[in-house]
Amino acid sequence: MKKKNNNYISIKDSRKIIKENIKQMRHYEALKRRKKEPAEYTSVMRDKNNIIEIDNLKTVFFTDNGTVMSVNGVSFAIPQKKIVGVVGESGCGKSVTSLSIMQLVQSPQGQVIEGEIRYNSDDLGENENGEKLAYNIVKMPTAEMYKVRGKDITMIFQEPMTSLNPVFTIGFQLDEVSFTHNPEISKEDAKACSIDMLKKVGIAMPEHVYKSYPHELSGGMRQRVMIAMALVGDPKLIIADEPTTALDVTIQAQILELLKKLQQEQGCSVMLITHDLGVIAEMADEVVVMYAGKVIEKGTASDIFHNPMHPYTIGLQKSKPLITSSSSEPLYSIPGQVPNPINLPNSCYFKNRCNRCTERCNGEYPKEIQVSDTHFVSCYLYDKD
Amino acid sequence: MDEKLTTSTIAENNTDNILEVRHLNKYFPIAKKYRFVEPMKAIGVRIKRLFAKDKSQIEKPPVKFSTTTYLRAVNDITFSLPRGTTIGVVGESGCGKTTLGRTILRLYDANGGQIIFNGEDITNLKQKQMRKYRTDIQLVFQDPYSSLPPRMTVGNIIAEAVKVHKIVPKEQVGDYVRTVMQQCGLQLQYYDRYPHEFSGGQRQRICIARALAVKPKLVICDEPVSALDVSIQAQIINLLKELQNTMGLTYVFISHDLSVVKYITDQIMVMYLGNMMEMGETDELFDNPLHPYTKALFSAVPVPDPDVKNTRIILEGDIPSPANPPKGCKFHTRCSECKNVCKFVEPDYIEAAPKHFVACHLYNKEVMSNLSEYDRQYEEILAEEKRLEELKQQKGNKREKRQKGTKKEG
Repeated sequence: MKKKNNNYISIKDSRKIIKENIKQMRHYEALKRRKKEPAEYTSVMRDKNNIIEIDNLKTVFFTDNGTVMSVNGVSFAIPQKKIVGVVGESGCGKSVTSLSIMQLVQSPQGQVIEGEIRYNSDDLGENENGEKLAYNIVKMPTAEMYKVRGKDITMIFQEPMTSLNPVFTIGFQLDEVSFTHNPEISKEDAKACSIDMLKKVGIAMPEHVYKSYPHELSGGMRQRVMIAMALVGDPKLIIADEPTTALDVTIQAQILELLKKLQQEQGCSVMLITHDLGVIAEMADEVVVMYAGKVIEKGTASDIFHNPMHPYTIGLQKSKPLITSSSSEPLYSIPGQVPNPINLPNSCYFKNRCNRCTERCNGEYPKEIQVSDTHFVSCYLYDKD
Repeated sequence: MDEKLTTSTIAENNTDNILEVRHLNKYFPIAKKYRFVEPMKAIGVRIKRLFAKDKSQIEKPPVKFSTTTYLRAVNDITFSLPRGTTIGVVGESGCGKTTLGRTILRLYDANGGQIIFNGEDITNLKQKQMRKYRTDIQLVFQDPYSSLPPRMTVGNIIAEAVKVHKIVPKEQVGDYVRTVMQQCGLQLQYYDRYPHEFSGGQRQRICIARALAVKPKLVICDEPVSALDVSIQAQIINLLKELQNTMGLTYVFISHDLSVVKYITDQIMVMYLGNMMEMGETDELFDNPLHPYTKALFSAVPVPDPDVKNTRIILEGDIPSPANPPKGCKFHTRCSECKNVCKFVEPDYIEAAPKHFVACHLYNKEVMSNLSEYDRQYEEILAEEKRLEELKQQKGNKREKRQKGTKKEG
């Protein structure tokens, strides 16, 4: 007897899946290895003012239980000199989106199978029609990506404890960035640059920290070092993947303040990934709300916080107790849990947990509806047709 | 210690209190270090001892021990907890919140002070005597992913303690476990499943069910929601609150998330480096925070509203190492309103408002009126320290000279 929604699969099924997975992975790896002409991995920006445009991105993981659609048709843009916040629960694909931008998805299991990530680079110039050319990171060969990653697009990881190498000094790891992107730089210049960056992120004794090892620093200091490392290449986009989750509230306040200050000084864009709505409200100019691998709502910060439209966004905001309110009524809680990312149905993923579900929700996945100039939502409640 | 009037009034003798903690201390020894006085000679002696037939004839090399130092994880904590209420313990990581919870449970032995549970002193009970209290005090751990045994089914996890403590007769254990599961919002078909099949929220429900199965009176929740997603957090918080109403539970709620603490607790204790900084009823504390640390902590919480531009107090620097805490007030290194008094006099607890205690010199009228006197004392201390340092240096110089002299002779 075959049970539905069972967590187990038979050995026969499992073998079939593994066989299929190997086939798929070989196919995509071969595509990656193929020699490419520059024309194949360049594209045209839709809007010159964006630094990154993500268009219908699909990133999947081939696991032994089936194909996990981690990012399932995500599209949004990161404008220049703005902070874009991405919110969502764990497992909704926010980190995988950022890793796709960095081309750091764990391969061969993880593959970007569809979509475009256009990176607005200054090195490429314009095409015959006078439109600005952009890199398409999805199809970019690894050798080309080396020039961009860590210089123009940098990343601050979640855990400062594990993302620094414990056997090298802070200085060595900071200098490495300079040497990689500028092989002609002298040792003294690299050191001066590193110490300058350490000063910029507010470390009191930069010369001392330069010589010390990661274990000698506290969590907040390590996160500062990570930020310094991200700043060395003079980046255009910093991806901050939950930069303050592992830190205390008082240290979190320090780090957020610093990030905001540096963003204004350097004039770069920041993609801030977090699950804390408070952090987003404080930092972000634009907000993207993700759920089960899809963008369900996006807009400016005031759109999302003052006029939330998707039932999930509303629920998320209601379920967090506020420090400013003093009611003792039961908290609003979204019933149920996030759906299993394997074999998702082609209908609204939130429908089982939604309190405003209608019959139309059983149809296929709702399209993105433009509510105002900046506000988009994918929900049938706002579909007028 | 009991002569300290201000602190003993915090925990007044009251039979309504399920838990009273008085001047609780918990110190962890930092490993005793020893070194050989003459290291090279010591190695020679060791080699000799290895090959010698009669080891007793060879003298052991002289060893110098350093004095044992202690890490004061919990330092003079006093509070009382009425039945059916919740106390929140907040503070940054490493401030001793978890140690306090575990010391109350007697998972650690206290180094001083008293823990009075239900009118009886349980501070120095032996393991065997403690067993009858084990069912009364239970713990919910922070990480639901690592605190459940992976090779036991949910039913067995919940039933284990029930069987050991003989809460219900053997035949009824299965039914009893099912009722507990229902109370905690777990569906009955989960009885035979294993923990890995559940999401974080469900696992936390299993942890809560396991704690509640032995009919406890006091539950210590050690960051029960910090590993969960926001939408699941609300479910667990509501569950905890509902269980408190139906079963009359008392919680010690340890958390670093102030908004959650505000929602669920009746009184709050703010800890910093093992010391209690401020304590009071939740509404009073949030409306009128007194201690500079509490103010900074509250202002650091981000508010989910883009228009709110709160004036944030940003604390400089990091928490000092608890193994080597600063003298005087523990917070003075990061305090914006630090006076000279704070650097050498430890503040007493002051009842600034009814049931609102704060350990800060700013609210002590006696200290504040004599500030100049304390400034003078502080200067004296500084001068004394300087003198001692100079003496040390002189001694060091002499020793160096002597050593140089002996080398020349040799």
